[in-house]
Amino acid sequence: MVGMFRPRRFASVALLGALALGLAACSTVYPNTTFGHNSDYNASIDALWDKLLFLGTIVFVGVEVALIYVIFRYRRRPDSPQPKPVHGSTTLEIAWTIIPALVLIVVAIPTVKTIFRTQAKAPADALQVEAIGHQWWWEFRYPQYNIVTANELYLPIGRTVSFQLKTVDVLHSFWIPAMGGKRDLVTNRINYMWFTPDDSLPSMAVNGACAEFCGTSHANMRFRTYLVKLAEFEMWRKNQETEPAFTGVVPPPPPAAPAPVKGAKVAAKPDSAAAAVAPVVADRPPVWMFPADQIEAKFGYTIPKTPIPGDSVGTGALNGFDDALLANGDATRGKNSAGVCLACHQFSTKIMPGFSPLAPNLAHIASRHTIGAGLYPNDARHLARWIKNSGHMKPGSKMYPIGKGQMDVNTGKVSTMGMYTDAQIADIVAYLQVLK
Amino acid sequence: MATSVAAHHHVGAAAQYQEENGIWSWLTTVDHKRIGKLYLVSALIFFIVGGLEAAVLRTQLIGPNGKLVSAEMFNQLFTMHGTTMIFLAVMPMSAAFFNFLIPLQIGARDVAFPRLNAFSYWIYLFGGLLITAPIFFGMAPNGGWFGYAPLSTRAFSPQHNMDFWVLGLQILGISSLAAAFNFITTIINLRAPGMTLMRMPIFTWMSFVVQFLVALAFPVITVALIFLQFDRFFGTRFYDIAKGADPLLWQHLFWVFGHPEVYILILPAFGLVSEVLPTFSRKPLFGYPVMVYSGILIGFLGFGVWAHHMFSVGMGPIADAIFSLTTMLIAIPTGVKIFNWLATMWGGNLRFTVAMKFAIALVALFTCGGISGVMHSSPPADLQQTDTYFVVAHFHYVLFGGSIMGLFAGIYYYFPKITGRFMSEKWGNWHFWLSVIGMNLTFFPMHLSGLYGMPRRIYTYDVGQGWELFNKMSTIGTYIIMLGTLIGGINLIRSWRSGKIASSNPWGAATLEWAMPSPPPEYNFAEIPLVKSRYPLWNMKEGQTLVHETTSEEEGGIRIPSAKELHITLPNPTIWPLYCAAGIVWMFCGMLFMETSTATALGVMMSGAAVWIGSLYKWLTTPLEDAH
Repeated sequence: MVGMFRPRRFASVALLGALALGLAACSTVYPNTTFGHNSDYNASIDALWDKLLFLGTIVFVGVEVALIYVIFRYRRRPDSPQPKPVHGSTTLEIAWTIIPALVLIVVAIPTVKTIFRTQAKAPADALQVEAIGHQWWWEFRYPQYNIVTANELYLPIGRTVSFQLKTVDVLHSFWIPAMGGKRDLVTNRINYMWFTPDDSLPSMAVNGACAEFCGTSHANMRFRTYLVKLAEFEMWRKNQETEPAFTGVVPPPPPAAPAPVKGAKVAAKPDSAAAAVAPVVADRPPVWMFPADQIEAKFGYTIPKTPIPGDSVGTGALNGFDDALLANGDATRGKNSAGVCLACHQFSTKIMPGFSPLAPNLAHIASRHTIGAGLYPNDARHLARWIKNSGHMKPGSKMYPIGKGQMDVNTGKVSTMGMYTDAQIADIVAYLQVLK
Repeated sequence: MATSVAAHHHVGAAAQYQEENGIWSWLTTVDHKRIGKLYLVSALIFFIVGGLEAAVLRTQLIGPNGKLVSAEMFNQLFTMHGTTMIFLAVMPMSAAFFNFLIPLQIGARDVAFPRLNAFSYWIYLFGGLLITAPIFFGMAPNGGWFGYAPLSTRAFSPQHNMDFWVLGLQILGISSLAAAFNFITTIINLRAPGMTLMRMPIFTWMSFVVQFLVALAFPVITVALIFLQFDRFFGTRFYDIAKGADPLLWQHLFWVFGHPEVYILILPAFGLVSEVLPTFSRKPLFGYPVMVYSGILIGFLGFGVWAHHMFSVGMGPIADAIFSLTTMLIAIPTGVKIFNWLATMWGGNLRFTVAMKFAIALVALFTCGGISGVMHSSPPADLQQTDTYFVVAHFHYVLFGGSIMGLFAGIYYYFPKITGRFMSEKWGNWHFWLSVIGMNLTFFPMHLSGLYGMPRRIYTYDVGQGWELFNKMSTIGTYIIMLGTLIGGINLIRSWRSGKIASSNPWGAATLEWAMPSPPPEYNFAEIPLVKSRYPLWNMKEGQTLVHETTSEEEGGIRIPSAKELHITLPNPTIWPLYCAAGIVWMFCGMLFMETSTATALGVMMSGAAVWIGSLYKWLTTPLEDAH
């Protein structure tokens, strides 16, 4: 009968397979690793983790080795004697009560120290950032500079950043795995967190995510953090502080040809969309955003690769879009149509006290690399489909379809608000792409 | 010793003891053993349902940007996976053992309140169906098994999804509370003469602790749920953030329940393993008193650690430090249990039946879950781990590696007692090895995907995050678990119908439940035994026999007398507990119509109330047993 016994042989094969897979795992790149010493905060967490892992491994190996020893040493054999009926041993039991207690003290002391160090008050001169959670995107405010932005965070390397964490709806959790632990955004409360990106870091992009379940698109509530040199941060900050320019600067070409841009005087036109666009500043600072090629080179994984949901190519199907139209998008016409966006979006970069907008700030949307809270790359193809029917692009999205005849996937009905043809949407795309 | 156990002898000629088996007999039964079987079968079916939900979740996550289910369906499935496994599979599987074993282990004829016991089962079943059925209409609860406010309030969850959850959990709470008081009364009052508390079998002890945990923890979640129910249906503002509510109210209430709940799930498994290991080591349990005290201590400390689920909510450094220390403290009695199990096997004479293997697997795997538990008892480390797959790995090592392994050990071990037949060891070995391998392949990589930054409860993730391989492993592991469970299920069904016949005490165990025929007659003990030691069956003198000891050679060769012949009065079967449970669930269902029509809602609720109040009246006015 013993010879027939196969499950155990199967078990050893499986163990080998697992080891092989484990080795394969070692050669992968982990852009979201929690082990990096990129900030003082994460370095102290990691120091604690090392202790826990070390002691945990000793206990684990100790128990499992003892167990395996017992299994082999005391297995029943034909000649095994009747075991001695030992009922217990006070000495032993006291020993294995006290030894774990001592091990725990070794963990407890640095734990408590780290708790108080990492939750101390942030230095007064820290960069202040308010991170505000929305279902399902991030609003970021820099009160010292009067800047509002969304889903992309710029942090200067070497300067302490102090976060104020808030939410306008349900609970969320703010987490940049590479920089430190997470902290929840709790309704009707303000939470705090601070860290200093390590001086030695190169400029780089890292991922962030919502870590507290917050409803339908919890998985799609991501964000990007760009850690940049102080000088780069200053350039970025100066551009962001300035209201976006709808100027003669040639916008980046949408796939085929650059959209015709009419020039500076357009901004002065007294129509509703233009009211949101501040007057052009003659000598506005140069536009600076984290260079796209560096994202790819440094980490390679912060430009989203989310595929566009099915049925989105061609004009017939839900959310389909004729990409050829994008070449003819006209920014000026687009600006005139963009009044519809004002219902929820803000086109000014300034913080409005006591008010949190319903949707991401669009003032400098063209200076971001992603849309939809880190879900898609910020290019004409994705923007067009997003505007046409965002619910199709991101489950639960609260933006109603702008495209004519589009079904609102949240309600299952054709949206009465949707009134724009693909050509008009192409114009809006062209306009948004100028807003650096 | 325990001579009176052996007092009763064969009466009359051959004719197997037969119990009634019609459907009506199952609907009306008040016999704790039959109710135990009902619990076992229902819990196993819900275990399969929860497992299938997990399989869909894992298949969705096998690669990046999965398309198997929508975000909404995924959220419903993970909510239901957690809810099902905790409330509908593991707790009732433990309840199956409470029901079947406690009266047998303490030498009683039934539980203290047999009809209340039937009521507990039926209301669990109906509540379970109410909470499960909506998944087939895409309307299942979708706010997580933890139901955090304000996401679970009407403002953010306007559909019926969370209504089912709020109502279903309250109904399940009624079941758990009724059972808890029943078992506390049973254990305190119905122990056989001579069975002092410190002579009670260790499983009964752990169950005893669990009943107190249920009795103290469930009222807290009931309060939280009633607040939420009133918010959702009657416009109260306990969790209404627009009116300034503090969402941490829900979290504190939930986790004051939720952490003891963890021990409610694990202590019965600890108890079962503490029965299995001594039997197959041929040694008494090492340090019985310490095992009892550590169980009590775990239960007690379990009420002082809840906020370690909330280190990320910003309670401040002092609260973080205190809850961190209490959490570390609880590792000590837990560690003592592990070491005492090792010491029980040390110097023993180990026989590796499938039951024994599952029990050893608990020791091996729970250790892993315990250690990762200590890792996130340290708040700074926890802030990197919480809400990631690291935590998913941790609690599955505790709940699958711990509770499920222990319960499976219990099933293989007690199957001969429950059915009179053995489960197949051959099939059992496949079940065991596939479960253990699948379990490790599924959950070990989750430690890594978590530490490499993968959040929990996400229905999709992008390519290139470094999570692909771990997720692939986890999903394949899930399929292996499913295969193992399938084999285990087939083994169970086959063995129940045609397994090898088992004798009274097939494993050579020491406690009272093995002193009866397998399966035991409806009255359990023909004569209530006199207990003189912790291990009555091992302490019997040479030549002493048990009541009706059957062996496989006899195969139904002896006749077991009926209760009537022995003049034992048993409670009469009755349908009223079932009707009463149905009425209550029907009444709760009325709430679902509140939004659409108050009149309909009131109509349903009033008729439900009429049914359960009427049934309760009949129940209370029908005598428990026939007059002598």
